[in-house]
Amino acid sequence: MQENLSEALGQTNFTSWDWLIVAVYLSISVIIGLFVKRYIKNMSDYIGAGRALGTALGVATLTGTEMGLITVMYSAQKGFTGGFAAFHIALVAGVVTFFVGFSGFIVGRLREMEVLTIPEYYERRFDKKTRVLGGIMLALGGILNMGLFLKVGSMFIVGVTGLSTQGWALPMVMITLLVLVLIYTVMGGMLSVVVTDYIQFVVLSFGLLIAVGFVIANLGWATLYETVTAEMGPAGFNPFMEGSGFGADYVLWQVFTAGLVSCAIWPTAVARALAAKSPAVVRKQFMWSSISFTIRFMIPNFLGIAALVYITVKAPELKQLFFPADGVKALDNLYAMPIVLGRIIPAGLIGIISAAMIAAFMSTHDSYLLCWSSVITQDIVAPLTKGGLSTAARIKLTRVLIVVIGLYILYWGLVYDGGDDIWDYMSVTGAIYFTGAFAVLVGGLYWKGASSNGAFLALLSGLCAILGLGPVKEAVGLNLEGAQVGLLTVVFSLIVLVVGSLVFPDKNKERGTV
Amino acid sequence: MTFWMVFWKYFFLLVLIGFACMAVWVTIGGYRDIKSLFASLDEEHDDGTDKPGGA
Repeated sequence: MQENLSEALGQTNFTSWDWLIVAVYLSISVIIGLFVKRYIKNMSDYIGAGRALGTALGVATLTGTEMGLITVMYSAQKGFTGGFAAFHIALVAGVVTFFVGFSGFIVGRLREMEVLTIPEYYERRFDKKTRVLGGIMLALGGILNMGLFLKVGSMFIVGVTGLSTQGWALPMVMITLLVLVLIYTVMGGMLSVVVTDYIQFVVLSFGLLIAVGFVIANLGWATLYETVTAEMGPAGFNPFMEGSGFGADYVLWQVFTAGLVSCAIWPTAVARALAAKSPAVVRKQFMWSSISFTIRFMIPNFLGIAALVYITVKAPELKQLFFPADGVKALDNLYAMPIVLGRIIPAGLIGIISAAMIAAFMSTHDSYLLCWSSVITQDIVAPLTKGGLSTAARIKLTRVLIVVIGLYILYWGLVYDGGDDIWDYMSVTGAIYFTGAFAVLVGGLYWKGASSNGAFLALLSGLCAILGLGPVKEAVGLNLEGAQVGLLTVVFSLIVLVVGSLVFPDKNKERGTV
Repeated sequence: MTFWMVFWKYFFLLVLIGFACMAVWVTIGGYRDIKSLFASLDEEHDDGTDKPGGA
């Protein structure tokens, strides 16, 4: 199997010129990180880009951050296994993001309060203990959540470039990319992140559009539909149909996760709202970003579908690897999209596409590293430090934490065998934070009766989401899908917030809502 | 073709066109925003009107 895998990955149009394109791109990113360092004068500049982002730049950085390579890989996998029915994820993500922008739901109000992080809001609205717990839950869920990003992203690069999947290639790619991201994130903070996000948006957007054009020209729309129909039947198009692998529960869970959480609860997205010039800019930024929030799922879904069709109609040797006879272990279908792109896209262009994907990889890593490290500094360490922390100490600590978290994801990627259940792992670890946070944010912003004790308990109740993890479900004998556990945890957290607030109301009634 | 086949085809086309237009707008507008961002940071620091450090 390993020989077959290496042979399959070795067939690619990636040449020395493509390596040069990628190298030039990476060099530019690092130089920018070094260049903007001189503009960093305080913590607001470092983690909030001076709160001066305009609408277009806000859209670029929001898209650059949220269209990560992990999303591209996972969404391509969904298209590969679910066909066009997987497009429903893109649809709900776009519609919900537009609604959030149009109404200003959560993000508009947070920006009005001029906080730098979500836990900082917890302290303004509730108290210090809620802020510290919120910071711990956020950092715990977030850092665990990104544990596999480095490895899965590097799998794409190894796959598309035709490098061997064994030996030095994978760890070397992981270490190289991590070092580059660490350099410019540590140096320039949010300023370098937004500037590089902008360049990454440009490269990524046009790169993806070119990739789609080549795929359609190579395969033809009619072939795509005919092959999906032949392989999956109507379930390859209808997400509510039995056999599609989705269903009503799953669609509802996507409305919450791919829609609301992705744009209004997940802190890396909210950070862009908090860095905007004004609440009005936030709303415009999110309405525009609804298009890119749709695209970030739809194009990778489409590339995954194209990989399935290409393998079915043009590459029987690959079909044997991905769909072997009974008893033979199938090749990890995460490899399907990069292998097919490496074969379809011609030399030169594949370098641009790869640079675009590396852009997606780096823009997510830099934002996530900055987000989790600044949460630990601002919301856990600083509130617990007597006499407070100086600006210089905060920036220094944040930089140290960026490196520490970077080393953790390198270690986790090297030792963790994430071949199975990557998405389950990610959604459960993320849900530890966002299920409780949803209740606390909505309750805190829109209900005057929400109390600090109710918020504290609601944040803790998010830990129930861990019951959705496969091994935990088996251990406790729980017969529910991960999506069902997630939805139940959301409802449970809301109930805990309401009951906790009514039983333990705040003595200080002046806090109220915004 | 079923309803879903037609729906996904036009949805895909519409979003791609929208995204292409948005990409052009963000490319131009984002460049202007970056220039404005650094100008405002320079001005703020020169005036000594830095925002306070931590939260």
